[in-house]
Amino acid sequence: MLDILLSQTASGLVLGGLYVLIAIGLSIIFGLLGIVNFAHGAFFTLGAYLALTLVQLFGWPAVILSPVIVGGIGMLAERLLISRLYDKEPLISLIVTFALALLIEAAVRLIYGGIGQPFSPPPFLAGVFLWGPVLITKYRVAVLATTAAVLLLLWLFLEKTRFGRILRAGSRDPEMVGLLGINLPRVLTWVFGLGCAISGIAGLLAAPLWTVTPAMATNAIMPAFVVVAIGGLGSFAGAVIAGLLVGVVVALTIQFWPEASGAVMYLFMALMLLIRPRGLLGERWERFE
Amino acid sequence: MTRNTGLLINRRTTLLGAAGLAVAPLAAPHIARAADPIKIGLLLAKTGQIAGQTEYLANGSFLALEQRNKMVMGQPAELVWLDEPSPQGAVQNMQKLVQENKVCAVLGGALSSNALGEEAKAAELKVPFVCDNAAATEITGKNCNRYTFRLNTPVAVQQSMLAPYALKYGKKWYHITASYAFGQDILKSSRALLKAAGGTEVGVDEVPLNTADFSSFILKIRQAKPDVVVGGLSAGDLTTFLKQWNELGMKGKIPFVEIAIGDTDIWGVGPEAANGTFTKLWDAFNPHNTPEEKAFADAYLKKHGKPPADKAWMGWITARSLFESIDAAKSTDADKIIDALEHWKAPAGDSSYSYRKFDHQMLVRNLAVQVKDKITDKWNFFDVKATLPENPADLDKVFGTQEEVGCKMG
Repeated sequence: MLDILLSQTASGLVLGGLYVLIAIGLSIIFGLLGIVNFAHGAFFTLGAYLALTLVQLFGWPAVILSPVIVGGIGMLAERLLISRLYDKEPLISLIVTFALALLIEAAVRLIYGGIGQPFSPPPFLAGVFLWGPVLITKYRVAVLATTAAVLLLLWLFLEKTRFGRILRAGSRDPEMVGLLGINLPRVLTWVFGLGCAISGIAGLLAAPLWTVTPAMATNAIMPAFVVVAIGGLGSFAGAVIAGLLVGVVVALTIQFWPEASGAVMYLFMALMLLIRPRGLLGERWERFE
Repeated sequence: MTRNTGLLINRRTTLLGAAGLAVAPLAAPHIARAADPIKIGLLLAKTGQIAGQTEYLANGSFLALEQRNKMVMGQPAELVWLDEPSPQGAVQNMQKLVQENKVCAVLGGALSSNALGEEAKAAELKVPFVCDNAAATEITGKNCNRYTFRLNTPVAVQQSMLAPYALKYGKKWYHITASYAFGQDILKSSRALLKAAGGTEVGVDEVPLNTADFSSFILKIRQAKPDVVVGGLSAGDLTTFLKQWNELGMKGKIPFVEIAIGDTDIWGVGPEAANGTFTKLWDAFNPHNTPEEKAFADAYLKKHGKPPADKAWMGWITARSLFESIDAAKSTDADKIIDALEHWKAPAGDSSYSYRKFDHQMLVRNLAVQVKDKITDKWNFFDVKATLPENPADLDKVFGTQEEVGCKMG
């Protein structure tokens, strides 16, 4: 039994890692822009489809461009659309970002068609590792390692760079940041782009595992919202812990009670919010109180 | 000097003329109707995991109409396509099609959960409904009604056709099925067949729809060491499962079998990961296709630049059956269309396509197909192993008697 539990935990960590990447972008965008970005899943889809196209055209090394392009599209969307929503009712931003999600999905459907696109892990990552009792594929280890590297880089960026400090300060008190002579609108554009790019990374990592279809975001966006709620809004560490926990809880539920595997994360969220309404590591945010 | 009364006469003439025009449609309704297009509803999902399949179902139905120069019963005809986002949404849209769009019949029903609701609504609205994809046994079984006709072979029948192929691998089966009508139906039928064969179920998982990661389920299957895995997943979920089955190194180690595979499902898996034995209704590369089917495949290739998926044929044959039945009925009256559908026949090689009168189930021979060892054409994944039942005379028997099916139309 120990072997299967360890294998399931490893499998859950990979799934959780993908949830973390999607949730972090969502959390950053909400933290600084105050926008609940319903189009976030669509940027995840874009990441997957761009990776597919880049591999077909230029080979595997080119996939690194996928999140860069997704980030660029995100910045364009922020300039043209999202920036007009900052002083509007929250309901407007929900409707507009939802419409943006539908627009992106329709565009993908128009270009690539509605059916799933074949996309397998790169040949150099084919095969499985058997570490004692734990079975895990080489590609999933690569996903886990990439996720960890992205999170580390993001943490260093937020904690150790000047831009990261502006970002954190802006998320708490945007007016004060503006009064200090910092061009906040430009920062907001970059933040939205960064959030979308991280979602794009999740999309490109998930593409060889999941079915690449225009509707693939459905499987990603709800867990991401759950992870943000459990981890605590705007909390980097909270999102990481919550994402990995959700992945492991889902994997273990599949082992013992498969019928409940779809609902368990919502139950987990409900329990967490009853015990800690601000989430695991959520803090009091004056802006949203 | 007399006043010119021409204007007065003209007024009278004008009034009489206007009155005449107003009552003309009442006096001769057929003249007015001749100019109106005949509207036929198309109720298929436009988004979600099943949208990959419904795109092809719709393509097939639209092509069937184009091959008739968009004419039905000698009049212009059009398909009105509404979404089926959920069972409730599907039922609401069927009502909209009938009451607002004034369609005379409806094609569609991509998912069993939707189709079960749609067929009940069709009976309530008294409109002919030809279900082109859903396979739940109850649709033409205990839930049947005189307004509903169905193409896809019921789950229980397909499962009995597949069982010998599963038993070839052994009697220890693992079931992995979707936790909705289609999957539950497969599980029930497969368990009964396994029990009758004296086999053992070594594991079962009922999987939520839209599962993104099957690795935990696959680890359980690996641990259970079955002789064969009997699947009951649909559309995108089946594609994801087969991709991850290969990724976790299970391809070629434990055989996988499932009924009702769609070409679109396997195309999404890709040549490296695709594997398994399946049943399906039609294959574009089957040399035994009829001349009409070959002409359809050619027209489809010309229009869309790729061969038709089985779903495109399913959309085409059901639309064709409905259009030809409206022609035969010479009317858009529901009762007359139903009567014509019950008598509709089309050649199918050694047998013919037709709907059975007592349950409105189309009798179609299924194909047992296996993924090729080496795939060289990105659209052609399967070797056709058999046409089932092997003797066309057994078709009626294989689909079950009225007592076995449990359909009572009243």
